[in-house]
Amino acid sequence: MILFLCGTFTMQAQYPGFKSVADLGHFKELFTVTSKNIQTIKSDFVQEKNLSMLSEKIVSNGKFWFKKENKVRMEYVHPFKYLMIINQNNVYIKDGQKENKISTKSNKLFQQINRITVDCIQGTVIDNPEYKIKVFENNQSFLIELSPSAKALREFFKNINIFVSKKDYTVTRLELYEQSGDKTVISYSNKELNTTLPDALFNIK
Amino acid sequence: MILWGCTHSYKQLQKLDGDVNCIYKFRPQFTTAIYISQVNIIGNYLSGLLFIKTMPDSSTRIVFSNEMGLTFFDFEINPNGNFKVHYIIKKMNRKAVIKTLRQDFELLLMQQLNTKSAEVFKNNDRMYYAFPQKNGSNYYITDLNCNTMLGIEKASKRKAVVRIVMVDYKNGIPDSIGITHTNFQFTIGLKRIQR
Repeated sequence: MILFLCGTFTMQAQYPGFKSVADLGHFKELFTVTSKNIQTIKSDFVQEKNLSMLSEKIVSNGKFWFKKENKVRMEYVHPFKYLMIINQNNVYIKDGQKENKISTKSNKLFQQINRITVDCIQGTVIDNPEYKIKVFENNQSFLIELSPSAKALREFFKNINIFVSKKDYTVTRLELYEQSGDKTVISYSNKELNTTLPDALFNIK
Repeated sequence: MILWGCTHSYKQLQKLDGDVNCIYKFRPQFTTAIYISQVNIIGNYLSGLLFIKTMPDSSTRIVFSNEMGLTFFDFEINPNGNFKVHYIIKKMNRKAVIKTLRQDFELLLMQQLNTKSAEVFKNNDRMYYAFPQKNGSNYYITDLNCNTMLGIEKASKRKAVVRIVMVDYKNGIPDSIGITHTNFQFTIGLKRIQR
């Protein structure tokens, strides 16, 4: 009885205000169809890295661009400069000092980590066999809980939560729960959908 | 090159009666600090953020993550010499890696200096405050008046194996830190950022 109560309590306390989505098939269909209509996204983002044991946060922010297919540009502007461009199977990274080009074909882990962003936005994440998926909802949002089943990803992440707006089916928030106990939250704001974004934004020289 | 040869030949050091306590003012006071980090290790390059915090129990936590938030390691260093790995990713979880990083951080935190066995030396325009270790010494090097710290060297009997430079102290926290290993390619460059 005690065990049962604990179990029930944990389930309810997991995501306060959210309830489980019963018809997962219907959700998937809706999510995939709606995501297909999104050709481009331009937005701001704020990233909060929570160091749980140290009661500290490292907050950074920047600009985010997405273009179909598989193109992402993420530019951190404060408090440090960092640029990441994903273009198909290639990743370009520039920190304050150096530029780096990585072929995700040769770097499986990097591919998996970067695919999270691209898959979430393109709506393909829910069909990715590398995760076990649960979906919850409240009035404003869907919460997609991804538990990595692939060993390499599981080494880093306990689970990844994606918050999707019910209004336009875009990602509003990503929560990455690390095995270290730390959590990183990326929130997207000032979103502009389907504006014209030049390909040059995603060029990897 | 001449300077290099002179500076790092410990045989030329002349022993003096100096006050070793003068170097304590260079001990960094990391309340909390974040550094942009560039690491070169045997042909591999890694950038990220190094977060340093002094905890209420006076231990120091050092957390390294990439820019996107993923934690690589989380170490705890205590003034009494205790050391704890709270977290480290599998790829870095090697005894030699942890030992090297621990030594480097302990060297720059300057918390475990045994003043009783310390000696003071002079070489040209530099003072060497030497703390004997099992194999060799740790040297804290200043100008003649002990007004500026010029560097830290972890040395075998003959030569430096690690060199650390900490410059532009602001409220007791160095703005830039450079760590160089001479036995193998391993350098760490840290530049403080304001939140």
